[in-house]
Amino acid sequence: MLSSDQEDLRLLRESARTLFERAGGSGRSRRLRDADGGWDADMIRELAEAGVFGVTVPEENGGLGMGLAAGGVIAEEVGRVIAPEPVVVTVGLSLGLLRRLCPDHAKMEQLTSGEISLAVAWQERGPGGAPADATCRYADGKLTGGKAWVIGAAGSHGFLVVAKGDNGPVLVLAEATADGLAIDKRAQADGSSMGELSFSGTPAEQMAEGPTVQDALAEAISDATALAAAELVGLSDRAFEITLDYIKTREQFDKPIGSFQVIQHRAVDLHVMREVAQAGVREVLTQMDCETDPKIRARLASRAKARAVTAAKKITRDAIQLHGAVGYTDEFDIGLYLNRALVLSAWLGDDAYHRRIWFDAREEEGAA
Amino acid sequence: MIDWNAMTDAEFRKKIRQFFEAEYPEELRHLPHRPKFAEIEQWHTKLHTKGWVAPAWPTECGGMGLNAAKLLIFYEEQQRWGVNRGRDMGVQMVGPLIIKFGTQKQKDYWLPRILSCEDIWCQGYSEPGAGSDLANLRTRADVDGDHFVINGQKIWTTMAHDATHIFMLVRTDPDAPKKQQGISFLLAPMDQPGVEVRTITTLSGETEFCEVFFDNARTPQENLVGELNKGWTMAKALLSFERIFIGSPSLAQNALGQLESFARGRGAFDDPVFRDRFAQAALDVEDHAALYARFADQLKRGETLGADVSMLKIWVTECFQRITELMIEAAGPDGGTIGPLQVGNVNVDALASFYKARPTTIYGGSNEIQRNILSKAVLGLPG
Ligand SMILES: Cc1cc2nc3c(=O)[nH]c(=O)nc-3n(C[C@H](O)[C@H](O)[C@H](O)COP(=O)(O)OP(=O)(O)OC[C@H]3O[C@@H](n4cnc5c(N)ncnc54)[C@H](O)[C@@H]3O)c2cc1C
Repeated sequence: MLSSDQEDLRLLRESARTLFERAGGSGRSRRLRDADGGWDADMIRELAEAGVFGVTVPEENGGLGMGLAAGGVIAEEVGRVIAPEPVVVTVGLSLGLLRRLCPDHAKMEQLTSGEISLAVAWQERGPGGAPADATCRYADGKLTGGKAWVIGAAGSHGFLVVAKGDNGPVLVLAEATADGLAIDKRAQADGSSMGELSFSGTPAEQMAEGPTVQDALAEAISDATALAAAELVGLSDRAFEITLDYIKTREQFDKPIGSFQVIQHRAVDLHVMREVAQAGVREVLTQMDCETDPKIRARLASRAKARAVTAAKKITRDAIQLHGAVGYTDEFDIGLYLNRALVLSAWLGDDAYHRRIWFDAREEEGAA
Repeated sequence: MIDWNAMTDAEFRKKIRQFFEAEYPEELRHLPHRPKFAEIEQWHTKLHTKGWVAPAWPTECGGMGLNAAKLLIFYEEQQRWGVNRGRDMGVQMVGPLIIKFGTQKQKDYWLPRILSCEDIWCQGYSEPGAGSDLANLRTRADVDGDHFVINGQKIWTTMAHDATHIFMLVRTDPDAPKKQQGISFLLAPMDQPGVEVRTITTLSGETEFCEVFFDNARTPQENLVGELNKGWTMAKALLSFERIFIGSPSLAQNALGQLESFARGRGAFDDPVFRDRFAQAALDVEDHAALYARFADQLKRGETLGADVSMLKIWVTECFQRITELMIEAAGPDGGTIGPLQVGNVNVDALASFYKARPTTIYGGSNEIQRNILSKAVLGLPG
């Protein structure tokens, strides 16, 4: 895959940042959250026009043909303004699946052009509430069973569902309005919702079948995991900036609180955290663009997510402390960052989970 | 004369690596203590013959003339192979100062003697009352005819008991309005009646550093480097490269390698809690290396590094400490045992690594001082 050069990435970052800032930055995200957690259709269109959704899609399939490093640049900008639109879901998961399995399908074009968005449903919940083996079936053009933890379920036009077909795994597409589909929306800390889907003979179109489905899913998850890490890096970056501004201006004991050494040292630690995360995650994305072995790519993605979650948790939580009581209010933006970090951290595995995966992958590579 | 800087990085790295691997004595690799000169003399002679004692010095002074990028590679390879830096205070600290601020006569006299290790140097900056607040130093040098007369005390002087000369910051104007202003940079011979050296035993039981007492010790006026009372700014000017060097990933990387083979041998990876902490440390090292690479690239592009580079030191030294703490943990009941611990066919000296990691957060500007610097110079915090 292509790895974009530094100058391309810089330009891409600039245009993504301008686009989000012009649209209202984090203020826009707050308004959307208050208006019930949806997306902004104009924004989706603008993002599509800028090529954002098709950033990693090859040019012959209507994308920008850039690498994950470029996807990461965009994800960082999404994170900085905590934009709710499904950028990582689309770039990493839905287009990540389709460009690998059926690059000529009409939905590709509709996704890159922002005409539709599709959520991806592959995990299932066991009786105890934790993830369990998948049992959802696809037979005679109909889905039966359930799927859990579907991000972007609320605003999507349809669902890409990984199910068991007669001849092994299948990827099928169920329209959001299809018969026999019930969506239970669970409210998330950041105002978004996560879907629990249940299918009872829900009609769906088969997109791909066979072992390639599992392979493509694993690859798409690696991509999305690394991109979510980049989104957290952007989020941490901005949360730290907000905090730094605050401790420079808030005065107590007749001085800015940022003149107290204990505050200064905490701020430095957060700064170092942020820089390490940014360097680590960007390095991973570049390496993933040059790496073809799916296992190594998965290990790299875990490294990125482990780092990004560690940093984002620390930075957003310390940020609340450094703000004092206003940090605990809904009115101050810093809380939006904490809430978004909670959701992004839990999605696709948190830091402890990814350290485990990373360690096991490293052991396996060492043994091979 | 070879133009090292004209080589590609890969070619250069290969050359350096081959030499170290072929020529560096196995028994001196990864030495857990600072050697006396006698222990490493043969190796030094080899380096000297090759002209590699002073990689950073300009060629006309007898160095290799490496640019920043090549210099980093040289040190990376040195640390990778566990090559001892030798008694390099002359090369690293006095030499560059003399090159930058010394007279031609001083250069002609001192530089060859530094390269040959005919003179072995120690650094006399810290004093009992002047540690982090170095400018508070009180050791005096007063003019007496064509000499300076030195009175006072230095402390924590690494390897002073095995040095022939000391370079020092001394107070030459006690009445200067700011304490940074009355300080000069002076060279002095150790072998004289007015200088007394007492070794200090460290926590690890080594004698690495010393107290040095000056009681009317003398040094010729021509041993003043640079202008009188300008020592402070001169000493500061030399810190910039040191700051990335001290933040390089090698120490932590080597320790992590040791920890891994040790933990494996001891079965520590069977414990999921240990596994997680190992993974944390290993990822800390990997991501630090990514950040280090960002600064190294800046140097390679010919940019100068800002105060931001201090974060490398903060991160890597604290990470190094955590890794060695995990070694002690993995050692279980052997965690307090002095000397190498046998695991399979490797020996790991967990305690020695643990001790080695402790002072890294104290010297080279303590990590608290680094945080002070970052908070003001980089984050722009007030006060
Ligand atoms: C192994 C080793 C080798 C050394 N070799 C040499 C040598 O060869 N030559 C030489 O001249 N010196 C040498 N030193 C001394 C070294 O430079 C000093 O230890 C260092 O400058 C710190 O000074 P200090 O030990 O007096 O600690 P102090 O300055 O007394 O500090 C004690 C503690 O207080 C903290 N502290 C101090 N000031 C502040 C502040 N403003 N804000 C927040 N925290 C603060 C410090 O970070 C530290 O944690 C060596 C030290 C060690 C450990």
